[in-house]
Amino acid sequence: MARALLLRVARYPPLPTPSALSQTRLLPLRRHAPSPLRFVPFALPSSSVSTSSDAPSDGGGGRKGGDGGAGTGGCVDYLGMSDEELMEQCEMGTFKASGPGGQHRNKRESAVRLKHRPTGIIAQRDSPQAVEDRSQHMNRASALSRLRTLIALKVRRPINLEDYTPPVELLQILPLKSTVRGKDVGPQIGPNNSKFSPGMQALLDLLFAVEGSVSDAAKILGLSTGALSRLILSDDSLRTAANELRASKGLKPLR
Amino acid sequence: MATLSLSSRPLTFLRPNRTKPPLHRLLRRKPLASSSASALTPPTPLPDPTDPGPTPLFLRPASHPVPAAALAAFRRRAAALVPPSAPHLHRHLRWLLADAAADPSSDPALLRAPLDHLEAMWTGHVRDRRPFQYVVGNEHWRDLVVAVREGVLIPRPETEAVVDMVRKVEGFADGWWADLGTGSGAIAVAVARELGAEGRMFAVDVSEVAVEVATLNVQRYGVQGKVEIRHGSWFEPLQDVEGKLMGVISNPPYIPTDDLPGLQPEVGWHEPKLALDGGKEGLEHLLHLCEGLSSVLKPGGFFVFETNGNKQSEFLVDLISTKWNSSFRNVEAVLDFAEIKRFVTGYRR
Repeated sequence: MARALLLRVARYPPLPTPSALSQTRLLPLRRHAPSPLRFVPFALPSSSVSTSSDAPSDGGGGRKGGDGGAGTGGCVDYLGMSDEELMEQCEMGTFKASGPGGQHRNKRESAVRLKHRPTGIIAQRDSPQAVEDRSQHMNRASALSRLRTLIALKVRRPINLEDYTPPVELLQILPLKSTVRGKDVGPQIGPNNSKFSPGMQALLDLLFAVEGSVSDAAKILGLSTGALSRLILSDDSLRTAANELRASKGLKPLR
Repeated sequence: MATLSLSSRPLTFLRPNRTKPPLHRLLRRKPLASSSASALTPPTPLPDPTDPGPTPLFLRPASHPVPAAALAAFRRRAAALVPPSAPHLHRHLRWLLADAAADPSSDPALLRAPLDHLEAMWTGHVRDRRPFQYVVGNEHWRDLVVAVREGVLIPRPETEAVVDMVRKVEGFADGWWADLGTGSGAIAVAVARELGAEGRMFAVDVSEVAVEVATLNVQRYGVQGKVEIRHGSWFEPLQDVEGKLMGVISNPPYIPTDDLPGLQPEVGWHEPKLALDGGKEGLEHLLHLCEGLSSVLKPGGFFVFETNGNKQSEFLVDLISTKWNSSFRNVEAVLDFAEIKRFVTGYRR
């Protein structure tokens, strides 16, 4: 028998599912309600980042929203999403008006610019001089990895210090001498590893929760203040984000 | 209940079968690629002196020493031919030098073609609008460097998404797939690289040049164990696998014949009509593909076709879901990165 066909226009990447839409309430930039996500506004050096001030209109709260990672308090874990899931929440605005496309056209777009709808974060090439890949696919991949870094730097998730245990992605970026870092965590992950971003995000969440105090955060992470400072200073964007955060609390920058 | 009727309409008048290419000669090359090959530096086949096909520039030996000063002078002359307002051409010049020289900063630089050839290639690109990809002989597509030359369609960035759609199909890795009108073989190679032990890809093209170029790309990426290239028109060479395919992929010619004269010169003057001309309304081949689908796909099999855009995709979704409702389910149009309904996908019931 003929059954009704599922006829709909899909999007590549697909639009968020209705269940994801219902989570928009959890998203940042709703200042009138307590939000589990907060932006700490700061400027990045030499960045091409901007944060749109409009509230998210088209949702995309993320399918993993309810899962909650360790220490994330059950809010949206964007960095825990796969590239595909994250891409589903993004717009590639640059390409809107490019004509009929497909077989009609022989021209590569020069840069891929991604706008992450739920947070309004925009990721594009660092500078016009930055090396551009010849494949659009690869340009998209580097924009996506840039987006992950920006999410780590800008999206703050609340922490309940009472019963806080550092999540594994944070433990992974700590030096081996940390006393809270178990043996099973493996080698220390550095800033060039793609897994550094989730750890950096968790570290900034913690630093935000302790009002920017490196010594308080260091105690919780089983490190000396000096050791944690060195970790923060080891990556330029992490250092800048930490110092912006400290400045907002009236603290001196780390050097 | 209407069942899908197979077209008996001969399409040979559209895509004449030529004599078979000397496949034995192509296949005699040693398999050179290994599974550890990096995406951007796939192993390069050794030049086969008996191979009459032109070796793409980027694969030729860097055997032409040129003093650094002469190369710098060429760079200046070449840049002077294009206005600053055309940043993409300046980008192409950088890429041309990257592909033509083993190490552009050495002195003398070792080039893969004599300097006067490079000069001619560059003027061919900027004056005669010969596509840059034909000049250097490749296109960077997904994480591949796909060899191309005149006679095969240059793979488009829109088409990159097809691989992601295919990869999401349940049981994808161990299925048998067909890429109809494979051209350079870009889709076939990208999909084959992710197939499992049982997975297989049949790459079909009616053009002899396409068969040669696809063979080269399959070898460069070491997927000859997974990809079988077959010469012929659409479903013709697939009779032995009827009803066994997990999926059919195609980026067929879909530009309406009437639109061909208005194409960008790089496309209209240089790319093969065979790969662009979709006949009246651009639908001739797409319709033929839709008609043949149900006999090659196994139940539950997946298909994805690239189309000219919104109008064609809407038409095809409507057609398949009314005329062939009993044969297909979940038929939908899928947007590309520019929000154009670029693809039609669905499943056989």
